[in-house]
Amino acid sequence: MSFKVIKAGFLSTIQDYGRLGHTQHGMSQSGAMDEHAYAWGNYLLNNRFDAASLEITFGGVELIVQTQTFIAVTGADLNFKINGESAKMWHTIHVTEGDVLSWGISKSGLRAYLTVKDGFKTQVFFGSRSVNLRERIGAAIQEDDELPCALYLGANYRFTPPKFIPNHGDDLILRLLPSYQFDEFNLEQRELFFNQNYQITQANDRSGCRLDGAPIALPKQAMISEGISYGSVEISNDGLPIIILKDGPSIGGYRKIGTVFSLDLAKLAQRQAHSKLRFKAITIDQAQRERKLFNHFFKINV
Amino acid sequence: MPKITLAGENSILIYFGDKIDAFLPEKIANFANQLKITFKDSVISTTPSYTSLLVSYNLNKMTYHAFKGSVESLLKNDLVNCDQIQPKLTHIPVFYDKEVGLDLERLLDEKQMDLDAFIQIHSHTEYLVYAIGFAPGFAFLAEVDERIQAPRLDTPRLKIPKGSVAIADSQTAIYPGESSGGWNIIGRTLIDLSFDNPENLEKFQVGDKVKFYPISREEYLSNGGEL
Repeated sequence: MSFKVIKAGFLSTIQDYGRLGHTQHGMSQSGAMDEHAYAWGNYLLNNRFDAASLEITFGGVELIVQTQTFIAVTGADLNFKINGESAKMWHTIHVTEGDVLSWGISKSGLRAYLTVKDGFKTQVFFGSRSVNLRERIGAAIQEDDELPCALYLGANYRFTPPKFIPNHGDDLILRLLPSYQFDEFNLEQRELFFNQNYQITQANDRSGCRLDGAPIALPKQAMISEGISYGSVEISNDGLPIIILKDGPSIGGYRKIGTVFSLDLAKLAQRQAHSKLRFKAITIDQAQRERKLFNHFFKINV
Repeated sequence: MPKITLAGENSILIYFGDKIDAFLPEKIANFANQLKITFKDSVISTTPSYTSLLVSYNLNKMTYHAFKGSVESLLKNDLVNCDQIQPKLTHIPVFYDKEVGLDLERLLDEKQMDLDAFIQIHSHTEYLVYAIGFAPGFAFLAEVDERIQAPRLDTPRLKIPKGSVAIADSQTAIYPGESSGGWNIIGRTLIDLSFDNPENLEKFQVGDKVKFYPISREEYLSNGGEL
């Protein structure tokens, strides 16, 4: 019982909620880049919050269904089709043996998620099925791979209300918690950081997103390498920000001006090079309140 | 009293000092251990590094203010009620030779040193694990004797063989798997330190010690070492 890969596309990897608890061994957190789309995929199939999905980047993927089950496709609009016909996203869909699922080129967004009832049962590495190419943990899908899953004859049909389906073309504002070395940046540097439009560069992958803009001056003090959390905004030696993402390093020695709120990073995961974005401060109380509501709705307990 | 800083919506960073110091890694490892025992339902991960400890916690269970307060009160107590971590000492055999030590000849030349003297200095020190990162299982070991220190390469290599032993400034390390990197390669070990073998997960922990010892080409090859 599985889905078979006919075309592997540009970069498609199995991702789940992440490899939590192994940062002390030098492993990144890994996991789905767009947590909003990933969480909805599992919700639409009444899966556990950490079931494994296929993260399809840029499309070009074709799969053949080899078992009767239910799926949901969320995230980027990559021209999803079933047997050559446009198919609904953000809905529970029944599929059966011989159905061909395909994703073409992007209409909007970067990453689509194919979720299957009860999740894909690929190999578990250190407590997670998430693939991390930088760490050589697992591999991207290849032609002829079989993605194991379970047989399901029945499921409840669900859909995502339109107001929760993001528009990946909107201007992006990343809410930032002033954290780490924020206090070491002077007022002028902070104002420059918050009052400019940054542009996403080509250096934008699962590990990090490098931005272009007006450089800010760096404080003089030396830095000692320290633990980096998901969403940390490093200011590299050229004065420009790098946002550390799911496959990023667990420790590093650049100065960090703050940490982007996770649900805004989900939006960033759908933005291509040259998109513009701004930063805006958020308080820890606000960030925790919003994330807690999200976790509660999607039954995320970590 | 260590200083606590916000690190993210579900993480804090605890600074135990502002200078690299040999007594810190074990202290930090012990506190991480105590934190995981005391708040086992809330702590998700701990990341020790040189002078600090990053801790992520379950925000469904504890707010930032509550968690920070609990950590502060734990920091005030002495660690008397908790089993102290016993640091391990691991001995690593190294084939020091220009055949596998891609930068060895250049370093000897720069330092006007013969190979035996270089090996003697590198293998004499008992190194301390200050941090683990960069790649899974990559342990930052210090402190390298000044006489054999060397800065990172200007252009990192795209491919460094698994098991390579390297130096960057005052630090030394073993590349557990094939990797890119800019450190000076001085030899190679035949010991598998990669996470392909899950037993290696706990091989090195912050606060542990590592000592290298030289082996001959014959010993290296007859025990499965690759050139």
